[in-house]
Amino acid sequence: MGDVPSDPRLNSLAKIDQVIHAPARLMILTYLYVVESADYVFLMRLTGLTWGNLATHLNKLEETGYVEVQKGFNGKKPQSTLRMTDQGRAAFRAYKKNMVQILDDLPD
Amino acid sequence: MNQPLSLKSAERKVFQTTFADGLLDIFMGCFVLLFAVAPFLSESMGDFWSSAIFLPFWGLVYLAIWLIRKYVVAPRLGTVRFSQRRKLKLRRFSLVMVVTNTLLLILGILAVIGFGKEAGSGFIDISSAYVYLLGLFLLVGFSVAAHLLDCPRFYVYGLMLALAGPVGEWLYIDYGAAHHGFPITFGFTAAVMIFTGLALFIRLLINNPPVDGQGI
Repeated sequence: MGDVPSDPRLNSLAKIDQVIHAPARLMILTYLYVVESADYVFLMRLTGLTWGNLATHLNKLEETGYVEVQKGFNGKKPQSTLRMTDQGRAAFRAYKKNMVQILDDLPD
Repeated sequence: MNQPLSLKSAERKVFQTTFADGLLDIFMGCFVLLFAVAPFLSESMGDFWSSAIFLPFWGLVYLAIWLIRKYVVAPRLGTVRFSQRRKLKLRRFSLVMVVTNTLLLILGILAVIGFGKEAGSGFIDISSAYVYLLGLFLLVGFSVAAHLLDCPRFYVYGLMLALAGPVGEWLYIDYGAAHHGFPITFGFTAAVMIFTGLALFIRLLINNPPVDGQGI
């Protein structure tokens, strides 16, 4: 089999941010993008993810620098507040732009 | 992710969770109770105190709702800080509520003072114009709130409240209902609001058990 000639129109596929592209993380980031901050419980209810699943994805997003976790207390109970960083917002906007371009370029 | 991704709908969904607990419905229903109960109280307590007694009542209801939000709702639904755009809308809503409640309180007191007196002898006359004005005012106030809060059921409340005055007058004129029919029409509307709120709150309790924080 010979090499398949690359289609320059599909180059933008390579630019897709794989951290954001995972459905669960995309959901988390979508909700965090439209608010200032939220806690774990709120995100869990909105996304429908389990506690463990949510924590795993948030760890990944925190490692990448897209999400910031601020640990604090609500009375005597520990409460972590999550907010999207500026880097995360920029990456999310770039992802959105790329996806729009890719989908627009696809033939009907 | 069965629904198409839309930032606008996501933001709306986040915001609407705030009113999913039904507590605002209960609070507003308790406010509307003034129009239904005050006419009865005025016979024993006098015109002023029959309305003034509602201030501590509303204060207690507000305190109860604040405590329920903090200790019952927040552990189940979590907490969120909205975007600046929404915060602006909430500030506008607060302004609308302050103006609406203040004017309604004044109108309510004037109405109560007018009740039970012969036309022309009261502080104001209970005329058709007054009833329609009250209805229109309630409709506009609730419609603005419904729009700013993205909460369509408030349009229904506004419509019910707008009709409460004229329907009450009709019950009074045609069927001799006591106190211009207000206890019936406003009482019914208050009951609808309070029971809707209670139903939403019970649904929230059933569908959202408290989440164990697990230290994170």
